[in-house]
Amino acid sequence: MKLLPLFVLLVLIVGLAGAQVEEAQKSSIMITGYRVSPDVLMQNDIGTITVTIKNMEVLNSVKIKEANLLESEIKVLSKPYVNIGRLGPGESINLSFTIKAGYTDGIFYPKLTLEAENAERIRYQIPVKVDSTSLTLGVKDIPEEILKDERAEIELVVGNPRPNTVTGVKIATVEENVIPSEVFVGSLAADDSKDASFNFTPQSTGDHILNFKLEFKNGDNLHSTVLNIPVSVTESKKSAELILTGIEVESTSGMGVYKITGDINNAGLEEARSVVMKVDAAEGVEAMNPYKAYFVGLLSPDDFSSFELDVKVGENVTTAPLLIEYKDADGNLFSMTEYIAIEHSPVTSSSELPVSMIAVLVVVAILIVGVIAYSWKKR
Amino acid sequence: MLEVLINPNGFFEARMRETESLKIPVLIVLISGLISGIAAYLITGLTLEMLSETLPPEALGLATTIGGISAFIGALVFSLIIWVIFAAIFFGISSVFKGEGSFKRTLEFVGYGYIPMILSGIISAVLMYNFISTAQIPLLTDPTEVAEVITQWVTTNPMVRLSSVIGMLFMLWSANIWIFGLKHARNLSTRNALITVAIPVALYILYSVWQLGVLGL
Repeated sequence: MKLLPLFVLLVLIVGLAGAQVEEAQKSSIMITGYRVSPDVLMQNDIGTITVTIKNMEVLNSVKIKEANLLESEIKVLSKPYVNIGRLGPGESINLSFTIKAGYTDGIFYPKLTLEAENAERIRYQIPVKVDSTSLTLGVKDIPEEILKDERAEIELVVGNPRPNTVTGVKIATVEENVIPSEVFVGSLAADDSKDASFNFTPQSTGDHILNFKLEFKNGDNLHSTVLNIPVSVTESKKSAELILTGIEVESTSGMGVYKITGDINNAGLEEARSVVMKVDAAEGVEAMNPYKAYFVGLLSPDDFSSFELDVKVGENVTTAPLLIEYKDADGNLFSMTEYIAIEHSPVTSSSELPVSMIAVLVVVAILIVGVIAYSWKKR
Repeated sequence: MLEVLINPNGFFEARMRETESLKIPVLIVLISGLISGIAAYLITGLTLEMLSETLPPEALGLATTIGGISAFIGALVFSLIIWVIFAAIFFGISSVFKGEGSFKRTLEFVGYGYIPMILSGIISAVLMYNFISTAQIPLLTDPTEVAEVITQWVTTNPMVRLSSVIGMLFMLWSANIWIFGLKHARNLSTRNALITVAIPVALYILYSVWQLGVLGL
């Protein structure tokens, strides 16, 4: 009777050990880990799922026959793995699958099916998140007034509302008057933002639309978004404003050569530097010495300077273009053209002789005719 | 001397009784040439002023002096040559009308005909001076433009044109003297003497009118 409890204990111990062995045989291989790259896909993105398979046996190797990944919404681009080979005790292996996201946001669960020897099958679901939220590009700061020929700094901000980090972020523009043409931001972590500064120097007034293109990579997938900024460019209210007054045009030789004199005034609120006046090129118009060009130099606000220019114009030319060039404090060159009316001196006729000269002519003529007549009478 | 201006026929009739002498005619022509020389001096100074951009300042002063003096002497010599040429032309044409008399006598009487030209020269020189002192001189870099400028002045400037017209009127006065001079020097009829003088003088005046560009004056 004393042996009965021992027997019961032995049966229990053996029974428990047998149960443990059977359990160990069922889970000899395990999925110990997986990684989805990029962490969160955007719609139509291509990514990878890498799973780690480990042989949990202590003594025996396990032959893995096939590994396959299945999902209806997420497209699996790579082929299933077949006859992978034997996995030694305690060894692990990584298997990668290429996937392509569909056109629906959400969390999807591709099913990994693993078949080992002894009809052992493992199924494992891997969560894959698809989120189409794009990076944002906005205007952080822009001058209230954008003036012609003056540099305006436009600050943009790029934000990442996505749940994962994106790389290769850059902002580019093809606008002629915007520098730099591209700002490279680099990687941008989730919920992070970075600034990019551009300088815009408009050459004409009116409404402009500045186009900026934001590009970034989610994994290996290139994405872009465009920002259009409408701006209105106006003339500077403070800049130098040169006007000509007291213009006089005087014929100097009667062969189409004229001397143009007058004053150049600065009616603006800023200095005009290196002011140079010259006769602009035009058909039938030629600058002449001694003043082919006239250097005025610095012209302060509310100041003026006299000038003179010599020009030869053709008979049919009625205006002479004067080119005025000056610079602002930043060295930006400005130019303007003023047209000066030329009144041609009409060809002088006898009727334009001064009256006194005509009188002299008449007296001389009468005197000579009288003397000649008298000499013939005395003959 | 006033006789030759108002009664050339009587003057030359009287001179025919005296021996041939070129002293006074040479003096008259020289005075006329002297006045032309002054005008030439002024024109040369004007021309060089136009070209002052192309010449260095030190060369400009020298060129003005030498050029002016050369022009003055040139005009003087030219007057004497023209005198001889006119006399030769008159002598030649009058030969067609069987004119008689020496070339020296013709030269002498043609020289007296230069007296109105002295008056003409004085008036022209005054007008020229008046023009030059008021004209704005263009500065030229191309010497070939000088002729263009002067031509423009001659054809458009009232002072210069008036000077030319007065010159032509006085030339008519000289021609009147030459008619009577040749009548006696070459023993021609008044009609033949008129034709002899009229041909070259008419050509000269026509040329002057053409030069003025005043066919539409």
